[in-house]
Amino acid sequence: MASRLLIASLLAFAFCLLAESCYGTVLFSSLQRTLVVTASPKDGQVLRAGEDKITVTWGMNQSFPVGTDEAYKKVKVQLCYAPISQKDRGWRKTKDDLSKDKTCQFDIVARAYDSNQPSFDWTIERDVPTATYFVRAYAYNSDGQQVAFGQSTDGQKKTNLFDIQGISGRHASLDIAAGCFSAFSVLSLFGFFLVEKRKAKVSQKS
Amino acid sequence: MAQTELDTSWTAGCRRKESFFFLPVDAEHKATELRLFSLAPPHMRAFHLTWISLFSCFFSTFAIPPLLPIIRDDLNLTDTDIGNAGIASFAGAIFSRLAMGPACDLIGPRLASATISLLVAPIVFSTALASSAGAFILLRFLIGLTIANFVSNQFWMSSMFSGNVVGLANGIAAGWANVGTGATQMLMPLIYSLITRLGVASFTAWRVAFIVPAVFQAMTALLVLAYGQDLPDGNYNQVIRNSINKPKGSLSQVLFHGLKNYRGWILGLTYGYCFGVELTVDNIIAQYFYDRFDLKIQIAGAVAASFGLANFVSRPIGGVISDTTAKRFGMRGRLWSLWVVQTVAGLLCFLLGRVNSLYASIIVMCGFSCFVQAASGLTFGVVPFVSKRALGVISGMTGSGGTVGAVVTQLLFFSGSTFSKETGISLMGLMMIVCTLPITLIYFPQWGGMFYGPSMDSDFMEGAEYYNLME
Repeated sequence: MASRLLIASLLAFAFCLLAESCYGTVLFSSLQRTLVVTASPKDGQVLRAGEDKITVTWGMNQSFPVGTDEAYKKVKVQLCYAPISQKDRGWRKTKDDLSKDKTCQFDIVARAYDSNQPSFDWTIERDVPTATYFVRAYAYNSDGQQVAFGQSTDGQKKTNLFDIQGISGRHASLDIAAGCFSAFSVLSLFGFFLVEKRKAKVSQKS
Repeated sequence: MAQTELDTSWTAGCRRKESFFFLPVDAEHKATELRLFSLAPPHMRAFHLTWISLFSCFFSTFAIPPLLPIIRDDLNLTDTDIGNAGIASFAGAIFSRLAMGPACDLIGPRLASATISLLVAPIVFSTALASSAGAFILLRFLIGLTIANFVSNQFWMSSMFSGNVVGLANGIAAGWANVGTGATQMLMPLIYSLITRLGVASFTAWRVAFIVPAVFQAMTALLVLAYGQDLPDGNYNQVIRNSINKPKGSLSQVLFHGLKNYRGWILGLTYGYCFGVELTVDNIIAQYFYDRFDLKIQIAGAVAASFGLANFVSRPIGGVISDTTAKRFGMRGRLWSLWVVQTVAGLLCFLLGRVNSLYASIIVMCGFSCFVQAASGLTFGVVPFVSKRALGVISGMTGSGGTVGAVVTQLLFFSGSTFSKETGISLMGLMMIVCTLPITLIYFPQWGGMFYGPSMDSDFMEGAEYYNLME
């Protein structure tokens, strides 16, 4: 009885997993580049995380027929790694399956789709690491699936890339604490050695 | 002549000091029982001090892998840098473990272990100051030196506990200490999350988190110095002049004696393929689950932690199996059980690289962790019997072999992108099976080997006396 229940629940679980994987996969290569995205940094400019701002604008490419954007309900604009920052770094790999793709790891803004060319000022967050970037926007339909995209660089991701200098995370207080702790650690060790030597001398005399 | 000399020094020792021990002891005052819930000096106190201080060393060494997803972005590391740092973390330990053996023979495990812990604790704290890949690799190299304390841990237990429980004592002390590798994988991400919740930027939060392992390591070292005792009768500088435990000969003699014992080399190799594999897996498993199955950092850390946490029981069980089979079959039982358990571990490792789903991976990993850790415990059920005079050197060689195995497996299978991680894991399993075969070559004239019985009449002398006189 219990074993049948276990088998039934395992099968149900397996079906759910199967259903999810069949339904959710969207491939990047299947998306049309219908959006025009511009980002304020110039090619090769270096910005500082936590301080500088990026202004992004996105909108429909007018050369596409009217009505192409009827399905677009939401737009998400993201900060994405350029190929040079993905090299030898498997955790930033580009994959065609968007659910496994790791190119774009930082969200700039997510808004309902508006055909009036909106823009957004984003202060670069402090957890953005030092790397080379571009900006990409995905358009989502009402099911929450990506249906189109646009990016501030070309198709090969070679032009219009900018650098961000991340914060180092170091602090003067941490440095001082490290110094004090090191001194304490080493001094206490030598202190013990001295005490041991004195005890040995005393026991030798007695 | 030799007998009378032994008698007078023993009785002289007795007259000099009225020794009272809380635990039952043998002729050398080593405890013949292990009472886990006691803090009785000197035996049980030494037991608890040594496992806690080694726990803190493992905690510090493996504090970096679970936080790598943050550190690799802060320091702009590449996969090559991370691989090199992983290798560096064990490379230093190869030499420090080798050096720790003779150091224990000379100045005692208490001073040796506390020295290295206190000198490396500032470096753990200095992880907070790292700002480049080079600094990162250097830090992992220096922090990895503390794993040498494993040798002092086993040496201390072998000095405090008698032959009938030494396997169990070694197994539990090392097993509970190894739990540190699991605890850190779970705790460091949690400490980091706690600090970020206080509003600290992520690239500062991970640095602050390293205060915890550094302070813990320093504290345990100070406790060892204050409350520990090298031998049942006192510390090295007090006892060494009157006891029969005195190392006969100079350092180079002891070293030579240990190095020419072929069993030490074989055990070093096989230990490289149980404990070395365990170290390698500790370095890669959190990233493996994070990247292959897309888990969050805290969940990947928790899964990785379960690998290390199994040490709490599986390594001690290895020691128990060793002692139990020894009661019925003697040394042959110890060797056979070691070979069987380590080969099964190799098979499970091979399987781990072949399964494709998350749940199957976790189940196989748990089975693999139990067997590979039990094999480590079983190895140190054999080590105390290889050489009494050069116990430290043999422990050092075996322990060092563990780290050599870790470096070799990381170099061969987990650096660069020749193999995917899954393939690397399977190949590592195959190499384990092959490198376990040399156990069949170990032979003790007085106790036998896997396929041959003893060649000396074992009724003539008891094992312990044979050691003292023939060694």
